[in-house]
Amino acid sequence: MNIQAGRKFTRILGAEWGKLVTLPAVWLILAGTFVAQWVLTAAYTSVALQEGAILSAGLASMRYLQAGFMMLGVTATASEYTGGQIRTTLTALPWRGLQLSVKHLALVMIAVPAAFLMAASGVLYASLMLRDTAVGLEPDLIAASLAGATGYLTFTALLGAAAGAIWRRTTPALVILLGYYFIVSPLAGAYLPDYLPDTAGYYMYAPPSADPHNALTRMQGTGISILWTLLFITAAILLYRKRDA
Amino acid sequence: MRALQAELSKLFSLPGIWLAFLIGILGPAAFAALDCIAEKEDILAGISTRLPEVGFIGLGFGVQGVILLGVLAVSSEYVTESSEAGHGQQITTSLTAVSSRLQVLLAKAAAVSVVSILLCSLAIAAIVPVTRLILGEYAPAMEWTRLAGATLYWMFTALIAFSFTVLTKNGMIPLTLLMINSSLVSFSVLLAKVTTLAYYLPDRAGIDMFMSMSDAYHTPLAGGLVMLAWVAVLLAIAAIVFQRRDVGA
Repeated sequence: MNIQAGRKFTRILGAEWGKLVTLPAVWLILAGTFVAQWVLTAAYTSVALQEGAILSAGLASMRYLQAGFMMLGVTATASEYTGGQIRTTLTALPWRGLQLSVKHLALVMIAVPAAFLMAASGVLYASLMLRDTAVGLEPDLIAASLAGATGYLTFTALLGAAAGAIWRRTTPALVILLGYYFIVSPLAGAYLPDYLPDTAGYYMYAPPSADPHNALTRMQGTGISILWTLLFITAAILLYRKRDA
Repeated sequence: MRALQAELSKLFSLPGIWLAFLIGILGPAAFAALDCIAEKEDILAGISTRLPEVGFIGLGFGVQGVILLGVLAVSSEYVTESSEAGHGQQITTSLTAVSSRLQVLLAKAAAVSVVSILLCSLAIAAIVPVTRLILGEYAPAMEWTRLAGATLYWMFTALIAFSFTVLTKNGMIPLTLLMINSSLVSFSVLLAKVTTLAYYLPDRAGIDMFMSMSDAYHTPLAGGLVMLAWVAVLLAIAAIVFQRRDVGA
């Protein structure tokens, strides 16, 4: 069957999109993350009210939100391996590299709006609650932080998807990602360099540091995060092409 | 007894169990080592305020291994095999072999408890030489009561993960929530800043069994009892749901 390249691409994208949005787990994860985001932002904001700390309460829950996006990414790729769906996929689309890249693209189409909504609602809630105490924040800073937060969550989802494709099972991929992001990194943070995925990503949405010598700029953080994401996706695609499905 | 034996054999033949052992033994030792190195100067100078916690901190953060254990014990039963293997779930086989559902659940819970106690003993056996090696004669003495508290904390955590997974049938959500909650950025610690009720959450109460933190809220015994109550309630809910639920659903 001869299909034009462009048409082939849109068909694959349609198929991957269809598989992704019909997974009940995807919607459960997104809804759960949304609820968690509200509860956590409310908690952070009330702490900020007591302590009089100024904003960033809106983005304080990012730490936890990233877990939801990791789950989203891991589910997107690892779900192919429960029950042998992967063999149907590869029979229909025998172009492995293209198929996996397009899957990541379909994931971006879900992750970006979800990440933006969550980050924006957090900041909105915090700024409403802290209206009286917080000094005015420049709109530029808010916009940049929101863009950074959206980008960071999307990159995290992509990283999760690549990890899911590498380990091909939900549990080990999730344990390794969560173990690094939540256990190793916070505990051993002082001994680890700044250019690891979570710390570099932090600078994408964090307000500019008071001490510019010790911190990365927003642009440096973004660049390093893109490199990590691409590295993981490349590794996933290479393994995917080599390995028996 | 034979049901327990069967559950133990199923547990030890899971591929993920080795990840749980690896995390459960090396993790605590590594955290204890990092903490000892960070605190070494203060301890040698005799000004450290955290001496009694050194070493135990590894046991506080090292519960990841038993969380994975408790989750895997249940979620592995519900994994759907590939279509080549007939789309089956192990749980149907388990319930055919042992027809009392309560017995299956209790045997499984017992197996998880036994393995988590084993895992905690191994972790303690790894932590003690590590602290000795780094701190030498300054290494804190490990009292038996606190070690027993830590072991109970591990077992209760594994059982909470276990009953939580019985309810969700899928490992992802309990794994994520519990792993994050036992980390440095725990939800409970955050909630404790908002309301003192958060001190009655299982992990927050249970940790008082062996960590003498400055913000300890319960006595070790009270903390243990609060956590035990959580475990009992969650197990009871899990048992009722497991009894009544259609397995295929």
